[in-house]
Formats: sequence, structure tokens, C-alpha cells
Amino acid sequence: MQNVIERILNLLAFLLTVQRPVSADEIRVTVAGYDRSSDEAFRRMFERDKDLLRQLGIPLQMRPTDAWEVEYGYVVPADQYALGDPGLTDEERAALWLAAQVVRIGGQATGPEALFKLGGAPIGGAVEPLAADLGAESDLLGDAFLAVAERRWVGFEYRGSRRLVAPYGLVHRRGHWYLVGPERSNERLVKAFRFDRAADLIVGDEPGQFERPARFRASDAIPQAPWEAGSDDIVADVVFDADLAWWARRQLSGRVEAKVEDDGTLRVSMPVANVDAFLAWMLSFDDRAEILGPPELRDAFVTRLTGSAA
Amino acid sequence: MSSAKTARRLTRLLAMLPWVIAHPGATVAEVCERFDYTPRQLAADLNLVFVCGLPGYGPGDLMVAYIDDDEVIVEMADYFKSAVRLSAPEALTLLAAGMAVLSSGQAPAALASGVAKLQRLLLPDSEDSLVVDLAEPELVGELRAAAASGNVVRIVYTALGSGATTRRDIEPWTVFSTMGNWYVSAYCRLADGERVFRIDRIQEATIRPETFQPPTELPPPVVMYSPGVDDVAATIRLSAASKWITEYYPVEELDAPNGDQLVRFSASDPQVIARLLLRLGDTAELVEGPEVAQAVADLRSRILARYQR
Repeated sequence: MQNVIERILNLLAFLLTVQRPVSADEIRVTVAGYDRSSDEAFRRMFERDKDLLRQLGIPLQMRPTDAWEVEYGYVVPADQYALGDPGLTDEERAALWLAAQVVRIGGQATGPEALFKLGGAPIGGAVEPLAADLGAESDLLGDAFLAVAERRWVGFEYRGSRRLVAPYGLVHRRGHWYLVGPERSNERLVKAFRFDRAADLIVGDEPGQFERPARFRASDAIPQAPWEAGSDDIVADVVFDADLAWWARRQLSGRVEAKVEDDGTLRVSMPVANVDAFLAWMLSFDDRAEILGPPELRDAFVTRLTGSAA
Repeated sequence: MSSAKTARRLTRLLAMLPWVIAHPGATVAEVCERFDYTPRQLAADLNLVFVCGLPGYGPGDLMVAYIDDDEVIVEMADYFKSAVRLSAPEALTLLAAGMAVLSSGQAPAALASGVAKLQRLLLPDSEDSLVVDLAEPELVGELRAAAASGNVVRIVYTALGSGATTRRDIEPWTVFSTMGNWYVSAYCRLADGERVFRIDRIQEATIRPETFQPPTELPPPVVMYSPGVDDVAATIRLSAASKWITEYYPVEELDAPNGDQLVRFSASDPQVIARLLLRLGDTAELVEGPEVAQAVADLRSRILARYQR
């Protein structure tokens, strides 16, 4: 292990210093640790070292060594190598480290490597073992995260067809991961794709492949309730009978104004973004709820009832 | 030699160097605590650094790294003054873990500010593009705890079909989430059998001191429909707009001669099917099922009566 680590340190010191593409041959004759190997041994050793650099998160890239693009060499751009300084305090690092230990992704505990890179933190002793598991495999999810962070297109199989999606965001809610964004075929329609149902994920080669709308918020894309997802813009005035008020209250989000009357009935004023989903939900209350207004919403409900072909 | 072990050692080494360079005068104890080193491991890593550097590899080319008294010294290593950027899985895991704990509402203030700083660094052009929300509906936590400790729970439950509200003692086995809803599977003492309850339909739950012995082999956590002798059935014609119900309800797809999509839906209570039909409106049509037709008519007139007064 000692030899490998020395060789990698020498290689990295060299690449970070020269800041120009260097060919494998130049590396072999210049960097200590490679010089005394045969052709075949060098090739194998260098392949393994490149894999190791990438495993560490080091951006090892291939670029032409001259303007004619005859020969290619390796480069580690200093600006892409370096982690920016988020300015964390020791207290913040310790809190992040504790969080990383109580939350698992795909059953895997988080190692301390990310925290080390950020400046290290005292590694605490025992913590609560498994407080939460966010499901999904962290490598695949890591790819999706990279695409979100760097605005790269992603392609994947979903419900029997191939999708090309601009990943605006990644959301974990109600036990699932969702990839949120529009398909290339209709860039105005933002959809939520269950990540565990997406297969054969590939990520675009270039960063900055799409623009994210300035006011986009991923949490809005996965609504708390079905009637909150849509483009309708109505405030419904509804009354729920006392015996089912508890069930209505439980399903209403914080954005709702609710008032309990003296007889126990619940009177609410709630934003509706999807009239269809809202009417379906009202049906689940049988005759123990009533839409009081606005009149067009009340009419739509009555029409839905009388117009049914059943 | 394991490459994972080598990678871990290198990662720590390449993180320790920048910190020591930025903090001249750091002590062995500080560096060890911060990077989880034993003093011996730290000395071994510094010895490696000491023999590495730039081509030429003479005294002016090699890095300087040693322990002086109690002080960690690193010099001539400016190319390692920055830590390596986070890999995508590292960045996601750390950020998601922080956000998950924050969403539970029991996090220290330092976590909130730490997560905010990481967001600005890792998602510079849209801090709102990653959301982790671990919030669970009411009672999920209580029922899960009762299942773990083996305590009987008294629940007030409103059935999905009939709307009837009952009080019953259950022995909760497992709590699970599927299709966006949470359920508890249990032995129900009132029904004297295994039942699955939708948790949002449980109005109240009281944990009893009495404990029970769960079966050695628990049934799989799925919402299963088992036909009973008193069940009613209906045949429904679906359109493209209502075809989705085959993914959400236990329906049997029938072969129809003219390309129609016909399904057979069985339930213990005709009201379940009636409510679904009203919800589907003119995108579905009841082909056969007299009890269900009656239930649809009853439900419709009941609701309309309220709207016509």
C-alpha cells in the first residue's frame, strides 16, 4: 500500500503543478514510482492508479496536448480539483457528522470521508443506530444528484418508454425518491418520476445543458395532496360534518384556513390547484361534506354527479 | 491490498494536509481528533508525505512533513492546499442526511446553518432543487413503536367502504407504506383474524399495557384482497382516461371481443365500487352489477339531496 500511496502523491503533485495535459509516456519517465517498470507492468499500474484517482473524486481528464489534437494527455484542472470552502464552523461540522450517522441511504452508513474533506470533525462515539433509511442506492442517486447540480440531461426507462428529462430537482417524500423535471418533448410540463421505477439511467456529458426556471422549487413539484398539484387557481369554501371532521383535518395541509364551529363541523377555505382531484376527494366524504363556494365549483361537483354514465 | 482501504487512507491524507497547511501550529492531538487518527497512524502518513514531491525529488522538491515536539509541520506542499471536491454520492449523502434530520424537527441550530452553507456550495444555482422530507402522517410512529414492543392497541377505525366507525383492539405486526398510503397489518380481536388497516382512517389509537406474542412468520406487508362469499362484483368498461385504475385496484381484466377494456371488480361492500364509479364520471361505464348500480344511485341521490336543499 505504501508504494501505491507514494506513487499517487507524486503523480497528483505533478499533475496539480504542471496544469497542462501530459501524456502517459511523459508521466512514466518523469514521476517517481513508474520509472523502473516494464511496458506491460507500467500499463497495468497506470490503469489502476487512474481508477483510484477517480474513486477519490479527483477530476482526471483527457485533453489534446497540442492544437493539432494528435496526442492526448492527462490533466487535473486545479479549479475542478479543489473543494470550495463552505465556511463551516466546528459546531456545524459536528452536527452534519451526527446526521450522517443516523441516516442511511440504501442501507449504507455514510463514511467519514466527506466530513474529512470539509475539515474533519471529532468522531463521536455511539449514536442511535438506525433512525431512518432513505432507500435507493446511493451511487445511482449520486448520478442523479450530479445531473441536478450541474444541469445535465438524464435519460432513463420509465413505464415502458425511454425518457429524456431535464432534472430540475430531486425530492424524497412519503418514503420515495422522485426525480422532478420536464421531458424534452414538452418542456413546460414538470413531472415527478419515481426514482426506484427508473432504469438504465444515463447522464449527459456536458454541464449546463438546460436552464432551470428561476422560481422553481422542487418541494412544490411533489404536492402534499393530489388537489394541490395542477394549474387551476381556486379557493374552495367547504364544510365537513362533525363526525368526519377529524379525517378532513388530517388530510389538509398547513396552507388551509380552518375553523371548528360550535356544533363540531369544520369550515375550511382551501386552495385548489386541480379541480378534478379535488372533486374526487370530496366524493370520499359521501354526503357528510359540502362545497359552499365558489358557485362554479359547486356546479362542477353536481354536474360530475348527475353526468355520470353509471 | 484492498483498493478501498487504499482509497480511504488517501482520502484522509489528502484532507488532513490542507487543514494542517491552513492551521500552522496544530497539535498532534487536534489533528488526531479531527481526522480520527491514532498518533501512530498520523506519524506513518507524515512519513510517506516526507518522501514525496515534485520531479527531481531532491531536497528542494520533496514535501516537508514531521512532528516537532507536539506540533504537526507540513511545508513545501502548496499544491495540496485545497481539499478534494466531494464526489456526487458523498455530496448527496451528506446533504440528504442533514436535510432528513432537519425535517424531523429535532435538529440543533448548527445543523440548519451547516446544511444551508453546504447547499450554497453544492447547488449554487438552485438551492431549492434537493428536498428531503421524512415527515410521516400522524400515528405512524406510535403504531410502529407498539408493533416493536408488542403492545395491544385500541383503535377507532372508519372503514373505507361502509364509512362505519368501530372501536377495536388490534395486535399490530408491521407498519408499511405503499402507493402513497400507510398501513398497519395486525391481528384484529374484533374480527378474530388478520386485517390490514389504513392508518389515515384510524381516528384514535391508544396503546394498552397488555402485550401479545406476534406470529413467528409475519405475512408479507401488502394490501391483499381476499374474496369472501358475500362479495358483490361489477363489470366496468374503461376508457383510456380511466385505465389507470387497473394499477391501483385489485381488478380482474376480462377479454372483450371488440377491443373494449372490461374489468371485473369485486368488493365486500358495493359502496367502494360506487364511489369509484362516481369519481370516474363519464370515463367509465357500469356494464353489469345490480347491487353496485343501486349503490351508485343511492350515493348520488344522498349527496345531491344535500346540494339541493
